[in-house]
Formats: sequence, structure tokens, C-alpha cells
Amino acid sequence: MAGICCGVVGEGDTPAPLEPTTRPSRRRSLDILPLKYIADMAVPPSDGSRKRPKLDLRDRDNVVQNCDESTGHKVVKKEAKVEIHDNISETKNVTVADASEVEDSPKFGVTSVCGRRRDMEDSVSVRPSFTQGFHYFGVFDGHGCSHVATMCKERLHEIVNEEIDSARENLEWKLTMENGFARMDDEVNRRSQSNQTFTCRCELQTPHCDAVGSTAVVAIVTPDKLVVSNCGDSRAVLCRKGVAIPLSSDHKPDRPDELLRVQSKGGRVIYWDGPRVLGVLAMSRAIGDNYLKPYVISEPEVTVTERTEEDECLILASDGLWDVVSNETACGVVRMCLKAQKPPSPPGSPGSDVAADGSDRACSDASILLTKLALARHSSDNVSVVVVDLRRDQRQSSNSN
Amino acid sequence: MTSLQFHRFNPATDTSTAIANGVNCPKPPSTLRLLAKVSLSVPETVARHHAHPVGPNQCCSVVIQAIDAPVSAVWPVVRRFDNPQAYKHFVKSCHVVAAAGGGEDGIRVGALREVRVVSGLPAVSSTERLEILDDERHVMSFSVVGGDHRLRNYRSVTTLHGDGNGGTVVIESYVVDVPPGNTKEETCVFVDTIVRCNLQSLAQIAET
Repeated sequence: MAGICCGVVGEGDTPAPLEPTTRPSRRRSLDILPLKYIADMAVPPSDGSRKRPKLDLRDRDNVVQNCDESTGHKVVKKEAKVEIHDNISETKNVTVADASEVEDSPKFGVTSVCGRRRDMEDSVSVRPSFTQGFHYFGVFDGHGCSHVATMCKERLHEIVNEEIDSARENLEWKLTMENGFARMDDEVNRRSQSNQTFTCRCELQTPHCDAVGSTAVVAIVTPDKLVVSNCGDSRAVLCRKGVAIPLSSDHKPDRPDELLRVQSKGGRVIYWDGPRVLGVLAMSRAIGDNYLKPYVISEPEVTVTERTEEDECLILASDGLWDVVSNETACGVVRMCLKAQKPPSPPGSPGSDVAADGSDRACSDASILLTKLALARHSSDNVSVVVVDLRRDQRQSSNSN
Repeated sequence: MTSLQFHRFNPATDTSTAIANGVNCPKPPSTLRLLAKVSLSVPETVARHHAHPVGPNQCCSVVIQAIDAPVSAVWPVVRRFDNPQAYKHFVKSCHVVAAAGGGEDGIRVGALREVRVVSGLPAVSSTERLEILDDERHVMSFSVVGGDHRLRNYRSVTTLHGDGNGGTVVIESYVVDVPPGNTKEETCVFVDTIVRCNLQSLAQIAET
């Protein structure tokens, strides 16, 4: 098993692995993935999609929908190619049709494990088509206890959905996401007034607990944009044409602008096992942590990125991954897994449905591989990874490989 | 001799003193100077517990919290050496490993507890010894004798006092080594933050 981990590390470190050399190694390590790397909240790999039990029914339906929509989408594109050779006006019509068509949910994979920490305080939220053709992915790394991260998993997408609805035609992403995060933070801090209950340690002790918080990195995937909102030190990275592009910036207390912000409010950053706000908390922004306000705020940094044909994947993960794996290495691993995915039979044959499932499995394999890599490199934290396949045309990608 | 005399407690004084405590780290020789700022008569028999001898590479501080509940409601929570997590939310779990026999709940001076700390803090565990448990004068004290953290030779004293209006004033003072790489001021900022959070949650519990 150690050999497997070493092999994984080796693959991760190789900038441009030779295809013939790495293919057998990849297949071997993937085939014998040990189940114990997957926490209870993850489905065993034999299920293929590796979605969490709570989402089984919904995701199963979505898988079917994905196959149908994916097939339809491909057919439309095929027709578009033919039309181009005939006349311009028909091409325009096809373009309009494409624009009005709702894009199918992107393929994704999720892994979330306790790792070497004694308690699991990470949460992951995946909500395909959570509103008007937008898809929501969130990673929440709790500290102090798990209930703030759990609340974020269960409520933040609903709050964001309400904010999007109330914005109507004048959707301004930065304001919408800032409002959503502020409302989530309010809800956490007014927790004792809500009807919700959580079976966590501090709930059994007292209704008040200001010393619990969570990071929140959220990605909304629309047909033409990637909207990333980040609060804390989890991270989102885009892989575009083999290049790792960070879509978020970690809120570490010694980041120069964060240091100045904390100090301007009368707080201090003290180096105590690393830079910490008042020597206590290792991040400068978080949902919750009321006792450290106004130094630790819940305001997210929002980035809006136009999607391109060269986008390959999006990775959201907690610092249990990013502390030990670089953006470039993570992108390389995922890229390798997506490339390894090939339809078992020629395009257009009945096997194309398997190709769709294969895509899902590729994302899940990528997220598991990244998690294994983090643990192999002695990450000492919970590790949560979400991999989203952003490629637009699976068949074309397959053909080009 | 056992009776206590009170002046009326002035909340504004408490607030300003608490703020001062949060910002400044008083110089040695003792915490009595800080207590003198409080418009509260602290009997000599109790005040001496806050007179920590402070070494050259140590710092000390006092945190004061007003609670709108009687001493009789606050003391049962504070005195539980075996259950600090009732109000100290940075404590994940606590196990008394040496009860030292005797006492009504089997715990008396000399008892040891193993405390595990919640995630996200720069500490993992703490081994603590009960130094004082005075149910008559409402004095509780413990020292830190081991564990995975950076606070060496930490000793704290917590005392409760009626404020003359049916409320309680909690005074917690401590002394601790300044860890290598940090200043006295930084150390006090760190510990004051933890102690203040503990006392604020103690207030919330006692007042509900």
C-alpha cells in the first residue's frame, strides 16, 4: 500500500508524464483503491458515481437526465456543423436555439474524509441545477465543532437561491453572494433562536457557542460563467488548457491586506503556531466565530470568470488538500484522470451512455486520488475535494485524445 | 470575619477595566494593582489569592466579568473541576485522572484532569491540577502541569463576588511564562481572549 502511495506521489510530481509509462500505473492504482480512504459520507467506489447517500435519489435522477440531455445536446451540435455548410441564416437559428437551451449538469466527483484528525468537521454541498440552470458546489471546513459547517451545507445554497431570485434581471454576482454569506453568518449567530437542532458535542452542552466557525468556498457554474465566493482558507482552482488558475485567495491573517484590515479594527495578528487573529484563529475570515468579530468577518471575496472552450475542470477543496498539494499538481492529477476516461466503444454507438457514466467515474476517481495524495503527504486535517468536469463536448474531447 | 462588605458595583468601571485588561499587560510585581481599580471591596482573605508572584519572563493579567445572576447560580458551574466544558467552549472533553480521594464529589486539591481542546486552536491537550477549591469564599484555582500547548507554568485563580444588587462579579487572574518568540503583550492578548470568551459564555449560561 505504501508503494501505491509513493507511486501516486511520483505521478503527482511528474510535470509531463509519458502516456505509455503512466497509463498502466494509473489503472493499477485506481483499480485497487482501498475502501477505508472513503468516509461514511461517501459512497463506495463500486457504486460508480460515488455520490453521498443523502443525495442518492436526486443524483440518480440527474444521471438519467444527464444522459438524455447530453445525447440531445450532442445531436444538436452535430446538426449545427452540418448547417454551417448550407447557409448562414440557418446557422444563426441554431445559435439562438443553443443559447436558449439549458445546459445539462456538469459531471462531478466528491470525496470527503476525516483523515488524521479525530473528528470530521468538513461538509460538502453539491446542488446541480439548484436554480435556473445554475449549478452549485460548496466546501465547508469547520473548526471548534461541526455544526456551523453542517448549517452551511444545508442552508447556504437555499439562501443564495433566494438572493438570486430577488435580484431578478439585475443579477450582480458580488452583491448577491455577499448578501448570501452575510445572511448565513447571521443565521449561525442567531442559531439558538432557530428550530434547527444538531447532534454535535456543543449542542448537548449549551445553546450558546460563539467559538465555532467554518470556511466556505462556493462555486456557481452557469452556462457562460464561473462564480466563486470564498471566505476562509479553503480554495477553488480552475484548470484551463493544463494551467492552474486560482479562482480564490486564501484568507490567512498574514496576507498583507488582511493584516491591515484586522489591525485597522483594533485587532492583532499574533504568531502562535503560525499567524493567528489574536493568536487564536488561523484564518482572517470565517462564517461564525462571533467572539472574534469584528476582526474575523464573513464577507466573501467573489470572482467571476468567463468560461472558455479550453476549460478542463474546477477543483474545490479544504486546506487539508491545499496545505500539502500545489494547485499545479492537483490540476495535473485531475487532468490525467479525465484523459484516462475513454468511451469503451465508438462514438455514436449505444455505448455512449457508458461514456457519460465514465465521465462521472473519472471525476470521482480524480477526487479520490487527490485525497489519497494529501494523506500520503501527511496532511493532518480533514480532506474534502470536489472535482467538476467543465469540458463542453465529451465526444470531441474523446476524439482529440 | 466571614462576612463580606460590598460597595455598589459600577458597570462602567468594569467595562473600562475589562477593556484596559484586554489591551495592557501590567508589569510585575502583582495583579493587586489591577484589582485596586475595581470599585469593589475584595476581602484580604480572597485578594491574596490574586497576588501571583511573577517571574522575570512571565506575564500576568486579570479579566473581570459581570454576570446578572446570583453567586449561588454561578458558583456550581465554576467549581466543577471535572466538567470545565460546561462553560469553557474551547474544551472538547475532560477526564479526571487522579481524584486525590475525599471530598463530596471525590475531588479535592491535588486532583488532575486531562483536557482535550477543540479544533482550530493552537493547542491539543492540557494536564491541569486543582490548587484551590474553597466553597465558602468561592475561590477556585488550577495550574497547568503538562499537555500539548505553549503555555508553560500557567496558574489561574477565579473568585466570585456578589455585586450588592443580586448579581455576580467574576474575577479571573493568571500568571504564565512568555513563550519563546512572543512578547508579554502578545501572550496576554492570547490568554485574555480565551479567558474572556470563557467568562462570557459563563455569563450566558448562568443568566438563562
